[in-house]
Amino acid sequence: MAVKDIFEAVLSMDMPGIAAKTQTELDNGTDVGTILEDGLISAMDEVGIRFSMGDLFVPEMLMAAKVMQKGLEVLKPHLSEGQSQSKGVVVIGTVKGDLHDIGKNLVAMMVEGAGFKVVDLGVDVDSDNFVKTASAENADAIALSALLTTTMPSMANTVNAVKEAGIAAKIIIGGAPVTKTFCQEIGADGYSPDAAGAVRLIKEIVG
Amino acid sequence: MNLNADVPCRPRYRLLDNEQLQQLHNATLEILDKVGVSVKHPEALEMLRAAGCRVISKTTALIPEYLVADAIRSAPSYITVFDRNGNRAMELGGNNVYFGMGTDLLNSYDIDTGKLRKSCLQDVVNAAKVADSLEHIDFIASHAFPNEISTNLAYLAEFKAQVETSTKPIYFTAAAVDDLEFIIEMAAAVAGGADELRQKPFLIHYAEPISPLTHSQGALKKLFRCSDAGIPLNYTPALLAGGTGPVTLAGGLAVANAESLSGLVIQQLYRRGAPMISGISVTPIDMRTGNCIYGTPDERLTHTASSELYHWYGLPVWGEAGCSDSNALDGQAAMESSFQVMLSALEGCNLVHDVGYLGQGLVGSLGSLVMCSEIISYAKRIMKGFSLDTDHLALDIIKQVGPGGNYLAEMHTVKHCRTEHWLPENINRLTHEVWAKAGGKTYDEVVTDKARDILKNYKPKFLPENVLNEMDAIYNRAAEDLIGKQLDT
Repeated sequence: MAVKDIFEAVLSMDMPGIAAKTQTELDNGTDVGTILEDGLISAMDEVGIRFSMGDLFVPEMLMAAKVMQKGLEVLKPHLSEGQSQSKGVVVIGTVKGDLHDIGKNLVAMMVEGAGFKVVDLGVDVDSDNFVKTASAENADAIALSALLTTTMPSMANTVNAVKEAGIAAKIIIGGAPVTKTFCQEIGADGYSPDAAGAVRLIKEIVG
Repeated sequence: MNLNADVPCRPRYRLLDNEQLQQLHNATLEILDKVGVSVKHPEALEMLRAAGCRVISKTTALIPEYLVADAIRSAPSYITVFDRNGNRAMELGGNNVYFGMGTDLLNSYDIDTGKLRKSCLQDVVNAAKVADSLEHIDFIASHAFPNEISTNLAYLAEFKAQVETSTKPIYFTAAAVDDLEFIIEMAAAVAGGADELRQKPFLIHYAEPISPLTHSQGALKKLFRCSDAGIPLNYTPALLAGGTGPVTLAGGLAVANAESLSGLVIQQLYRRGAPMISGISVTPIDMRTGNCIYGTPDERLTHTASSELYHWYGLPVWGEAGCSDSNALDGQAAMESSFQVMLSALEGCNLVHDVGYLGQGLVGSLGSLVMCSEIISYAKRIMKGFSLDTDHLALDIIKQVGPGGNYLAEMHTVKHCRTEHWLPENINRLTHEVWAKAGGKTYDEVVTDKARDILKNYKPKFLPENVLNEMDAIYNRAAEDLIGKQLDT
């Protein structure tokens, strides 16, 4: 039962071992889809459950996601188009004027860990850049972050720019000063007070 | 002869010895010299290059040890801050401890309804009024953020509301150098001119580098402007251990200290002798949620290390206390605030801000401000120690009363009964029956009622009408200039 080993490798954050274990399983002739579903993906589901119960901490969850990604790299050449598809594309960044990115980074890593393709534009991102990237990547969601009250107006500008450009992607916002009311005021599609909530939110609006 | 007989005993507290301080300092120097700091202000970067720093990328400068040593030497070791009337209010330096408020809380407990809601300008006025009346709050800050005002004007509005309401020194933030300019102009109007303001600054500006190891253009512009105006600057990072810095406390301290000291280097290169209150904040990210937290003992250890490090440098040091992670004025708030205040006092941290914060820096409470003032009073009593002189050792009266007597109505007791013991204002000392009869209020209710009472009955000292008019004119000009403008944050 070696697919179980892959499942365990993700849960135990076995970064050095995951690639070899995944390769061995492929070499043994196990179905790629089975390795993906029962090994890597179900491990991340379990990680999510353990995190929400408080048994896993944020860095442990992120490390498990990295291990999962590394296993996925081994599988990728063998996956069919349908299997290798991400759950969706999320463009993320800190809005114009704001250089604080720890919250954005946390959300980006967690969203990636949940199986989405994340295009991280970094900090101090102007609305044009969000618009262009979302369009080029055919994004499902755009996630905006701000820590400073002074940069919250940039969120509103970005929401307007995205809408004016006719981009269909849903816009979600977050950051310490951001509230649900503010989200409604500027016409964004969703808001989460924390990173775990942001992942749930993206799953809801993209799924 | 006992030479110490007249010297009271006082509590002492020390975390790091000199070798350990040197070890932290060496780690800081290695970071500055080998990793460097990102300086997103081209002139500042050029200044560093000209002074001897190696610039290894578009924005990254490596800072050699001698520039750090020069900066520590040239920065003032004491900074006197005045009140609105030009009286000496705080001597920041040595082991002097001053407690005051924090800025810009987005949510506030409404003093009338008790409900949590978005903060507004009236919350800033109320906080200034309550703090002005509280004996143990040495300096004020906005406490709340006026959400209803355009952010480009909000910090000026905060400053105006505070200086109109309280005479205490003001610790303030600004969105960018653009609104800072108007705040300085307003302060000069109150002080009687720019030179008078430089002579007797009654305000301290709070700007910050961004962890890890980044100086934004906006923050450095503020740093330069304050240095030009002779306004004491608090330029200190808030590093999140495990997020924007190493998870370990020692590693977090070294990175954050590199941020502070590189800020000091930039300031002292720009204007030698300009006043800076430095220090570091290293607080963990809560590893279960990713939230930024204030009330943890880990943060208290790094806080003490920061105080000791800057005492060792001979520089004024900043910190925080009375800031709880609890969302309500409850047992957790009291516990966290008490530890923070007591340890800050023991450390001799000079400028202790954020008093009255709740909810991880997102929730304001006037009741918390009143509570913390009493916690500070409590800590001060402990710091006062007690006297061991002949009168206080009281052997004469002990012999007189002898075994089995009592001391209640003795002259020695009468003489000392108002000064030897701490006398709280809001703490309950009634027995349960009497307490219940008097309304049975819990401490959070008592301090919140006290805040209400202050708001109703306290009469702050107002500014002369000509100054108020001048401030209005400055505010109106600022509104024309700033609204809708893209600021360099």
